[in-house]
Amino acid sequence: MIQVHGLSKSFGKVKAVQNVSFSAPDGKITGLLGPNGAGKSTTLRMLYTLLKPESGSAQVDGFDVSQNPIEVQSRIGVLADARGLYSRLTSRENIRYYGRLHGLTGEALENKINSLLVLLDMQSIADRKTEGFSTGEKLKVAIARTLVHNPQNVLLDEPTNGLDVMSTRAMRQFILRLRDEGRCVLFTSHIMQEVAALCDQIVIISRGEVSANGSPEDLRKQTGKENLEDAFVAVIGSEEGLA
Amino acid sequence: MIKKILVIFQKEMLDNMRDYRSWGTGVFWALFGPLLLGGMIMLLGNSIRENVDEPLILPVAGAENAPNLIAFLEQQDVVFETAPADPESAVIAGDINVALIIPENYSENFSAGETAKVQLVFDSTRQSAMVDINRAQNLLEGYGNYIGLLRLSLRGVSPEVMRAVQVEEVDTATPQSQALIFLSMLPYFIIFAIFNGASPVITDATAGERERGSLEPLLINPLPRGWIAIGKMLSAMPFAIFNLIVTLAGFAIIFRILPIEELLGVQIGFDISALIAIFLICLPIVFLACAIQTLIASFAKTTKEAGTYLPFIGLIPSLPGLALAFLPVKPELWTMLIPTFGQQVLINQFLRSEPILGLNIVVSAVLTIILSTVVTFIAIKLYEGERIIMGK
Repeated sequence: MIQVHGLSKSFGKVKAVQNVSFSAPDGKITGLLGPNGAGKSTTLRMLYTLLKPESGSAQVDGFDVSQNPIEVQSRIGVLADARGLYSRLTSRENIRYYGRLHGLTGEALENKINSLLVLLDMQSIADRKTEGFSTGEKLKVAIARTLVHNPQNVLLDEPTNGLDVMSTRAMRQFILRLRDEGRCVLFTSHIMQEVAALCDQIVIISRGEVSANGSPEDLRKQTGKENLEDAFVAVIGSEEGLA
Repeated sequence: MIKKILVIFQKEMLDNMRDYRSWGTGVFWALFGPLLLGGMIMLLGNSIRENVDEPLILPVAGAENAPNLIAFLEQQDVVFETAPADPESAVIAGDINVALIIPENYSENFSAGETAKVQLVFDSTRQSAMVDINRAQNLLEGYGNYIGLLRLSLRGVSPEVMRAVQVEEVDTATPQSQALIFLSMLPYFIIFAIFNGASPVITDATAGERERGSLEPLLINPLPRGWIAIGKMLSAMPFAIFNLIVTLAGFAIIFRILPIEELLGVQIGFDISALIAIFLICLPIVFLACAIQTLIASFAKTTKEAGTYLPFIGLIPSLPGLALAFLPVKPELWTMLIPTFGQQVLINQFLRSEPILGLNIVVSAVLTIILSTVVTFIAIKLYEGERIIMGK
């Protein structure tokens, strides 16, 4: 469960995020949609404690991101925009490192890693160094390390970026699965079909502000458009930066 | 806390151990000092030995003008050859080290009992020629004195008249202290090796981590960022210590396999206990090297940028060591207050087998550790800020 109240952040004179509020409940997929540079990633980065909010607050399972970052960090799994792996370590070693940083050890950790390897169908690359992995293979390792500590809240920044059609489909199935397990899933995207296909709830951000918030059905009603795509455009005011 | 720092440390060690190229570069720098110093000793030793053992080869122009002089020099093991047509340009070109020119009016002046001039052509800036030049000068001067004394005797004047003052040279330099010119460069190489052992590893673990995009996911893990900085810094220490050991072992081996006594005519005391003492004195520098470089590499935007800074960082603290080779500094307490400089003075003292004040060792270690801790603290603060993520 993630709650955001009036979050703001500037970089120099640029107001990246202004007074953003929304909430993402458990067992639901919440999508942050917006053009490139709208402030989606910055919002997410404040939620996963990487950046400090200038004003406003955000809570994950009731813990404040500024006051209790460690508590928040242990309750979230994040697929950040930067998903660099350690190329000299194997997939398994990469995942194990994050598991240990979350305090997992011994058999419990190894079992968890093995089950993730099966779940993501990556046993064949488990003990290979990640140097030279394809984008899809790298993403699998990054997802596995995101979930190794079984987080209740999963934050994904543009999860299908750079993936081919098959991998994108697999990713969407995976996101639905996370929801069905009762987790709170929050992801950002600039791809309308993706958001439309997956989200139970959509938060549209443009120029650092929330311009609409609700279920796809709500958004259609609010804008009076039949088509969800037209609804987005109506809310954002332009088609720029969307795909 | 210790547990999670250990997790970071272990991962970085595994990662770094597999990065052969990085630590291989570091080890190269550890071997650089011993090899360079060994090479210098061999070259210099050889040129001294060769020149003393072998007869002086002296190109002469106009030998027929001074048969007596030539006969005298031949007695002194000088081998003559005909000088080239233009001795000066031959010396400039480096074809010959020295040339003797005896003008035609030599025998005339000599017979008349006047001062007869000869010319010695040489380049005083050429180190490799110095032995030949000095020998030729001494021999000619010796001949001049010898003839002068003969003439005085012939005229009934005691040769003592010529020696109003006799200089007796008392050189307090022991053979060991001559070799210390070389040994004085050791601290420079040792500190350089420590810094260069840590720097490739640190560059990869901090600036490299951001460049690869693995820093951001790492910082989301539930541990204070300062611990990450500490774990990374600690993981560079084994590499710095390894380099310290390699460089010390390298020097020990060089001094053992090279026939120093034969080459330089002196013996160097560089035994196991001196090695261990120097190792212990240098441990605080390992801390300082890792702390400073962690800080600098966290500031750098890319590994490339870090790679341009770090060699200088290693150079600055090791430079005083180089100066020590030429400007002896007394081991006063104030020198111990300067991290790395105090250790270099102490290492020099060890090599000279001088009595060492325990207080000096403690003061230099404590000051270095305090500075290292402050630098570490700044690096931690840097990790806690947002700059580390954005890299600007």
